[in-house]
Amino acid sequence: MILYDYILSASCYKVRLMAALLGIKLDLVAVDFHPGRAHKSAAFRDLNPAGSIPVLVDGDLVLTESTAMLVYLAQIAGPQWLGEASPQSAARVQNWLAFSGRLNSSLGLARLHDMLHFPADITACRTAGHLCLRELEAHLTQVRLEGRIFLEGTAPSIADIACFPNVALAPDGGVELRDYPSVRLWQRAVRSLPQFIEMPGIHRLHDLKPAPHSGAAA
Amino acid sequence: MTNWKASGLSKDLPPANVMHADWQGVDLAVWRSASGRLSAWVDRCPHRGMRLSHGFVRGETLACIYHGWTYGVTGACTHIPAHPDMTPPATITATRFEVTERGGVIWIAAKDDPTAPPDIAGFQPLRSLTVQVGEQALLQALAADAPGLTEAEGGLRGTVQIAGLDTQICLMLQPKAQETTLHILCGAGAGPAQVSRWAESLRRQIEDRSAP
Ligand code: FES
Repeated sequence: MILYDYILSASCYKVRLMAALLGIKLDLVAVDFHPGRAHKSAAFRDLNPAGSIPVLVDGDLVLTESTAMLVYLAQIAGPQWLGEASPQSAARVQNWLAFSGRLNSSLGLARLHDMLHFPADITACRTAGHLCLRELEAHLTQVRLEGRIFLEGTAPSIADIACFPNVALAPDGGVELRDYPSVRLWQRAVRSLPQFIEMPGIHRLHDLKPAPHSGAAA
Repeated sequence: MTNWKASGLSKDLPPANVMHADWQGVDLAVWRSASGRLSAWVDRCPHRGMRLSHGFVRGETLACIYHGWTYGVTGACTHIPAHPDMTPPATITATRFEVTERGGVIWIAAKDDPTAPPDIAGFQPLRSLTVQVGEQALLQALAADAPGLTEAEGGLRGTVQIAGLDTQICLMLQPKAQETTLHILCGAGAGPAQVSRWAESLRRQIEDRSAP
């Protein structure tokens, strides 16, 4: 399975993270997104006419939307990540997948503006990002009142993986997460998942690693 | 009168966690050790001034994310990774504030403050929520929108109609530059989910009105 990938892309990381959590090995093909704009080249657009990354190729299957890639990976290697089977739960997971698109066009675009000088109305992006974070915080507050921590049900799902990257990277786009305590604790739960992987700007929980300087960590 | 400022809810800072808090315009790192001890320090690492709230808790210490300088609950630096065999000089110390918990709320005051945090017995902490208006404007708006709330030590208390039920509410205010964080506690009346939705709705009304 080939992932056309760019290390700093939140959407590409989403797919790498899901694959790692499921134990799927991806063959990564690095796309020179910045500064090369290789995703807009004629050759790349022969693969994905939209000229966007990531692209996932598995045999005849070519996927160009990261949320669809999460569904595919979970279907083949971990259907429990699709959420519970009830119509309500299945629909709510879809709602979060679509919501993750809003995170990408607000928080994600603010980050691309600040980091890679993408043209954007930065104030509008940040305002829209905070609106999304408020929705997430309200939902996660409710979830915590019920004694849970993940977006849907009692276990992590593709909904969490779809939403996590752009939220965790929000400070890169000038959106601080300090007013969202439930979002902070939810992120910590995601970062604590076994086989969690990092990307630049998103680290594993250091406190779960052994102390580097002494054999007997306190 | 109390000088203590509500700065978060206990349940939002579990053991082995660190968060940022704004205390009267001073940035603080508030952290809880693995055994549950709370500390509030100026959010500036004595090494090169980076934010300690970006660090991480390991056991009874807070480690700075940038170069790993590590501080114990007294604020004293206990370890410098670049010089693992050196005992750090006692002068390398984080700047401490007073911090305590009462009624499920984290309270912060300047060092050696003689006052006590308010007594908010009888209320359950619900959630913290930031409103994009300053403290005075918020108090005016609340007087109009929730007249059953009256000023009490640290914030407001009283009865509000939520989902058709008379509900006991306590709002502890944390004023910031252009915004105010409300720490919401509830007593008898509507359930927590309903109070949470009421607070969201109240925030929208207040912000819509104050929008230019
Ligand atoms: S700035 Fe904190 S260890 Fe260097």
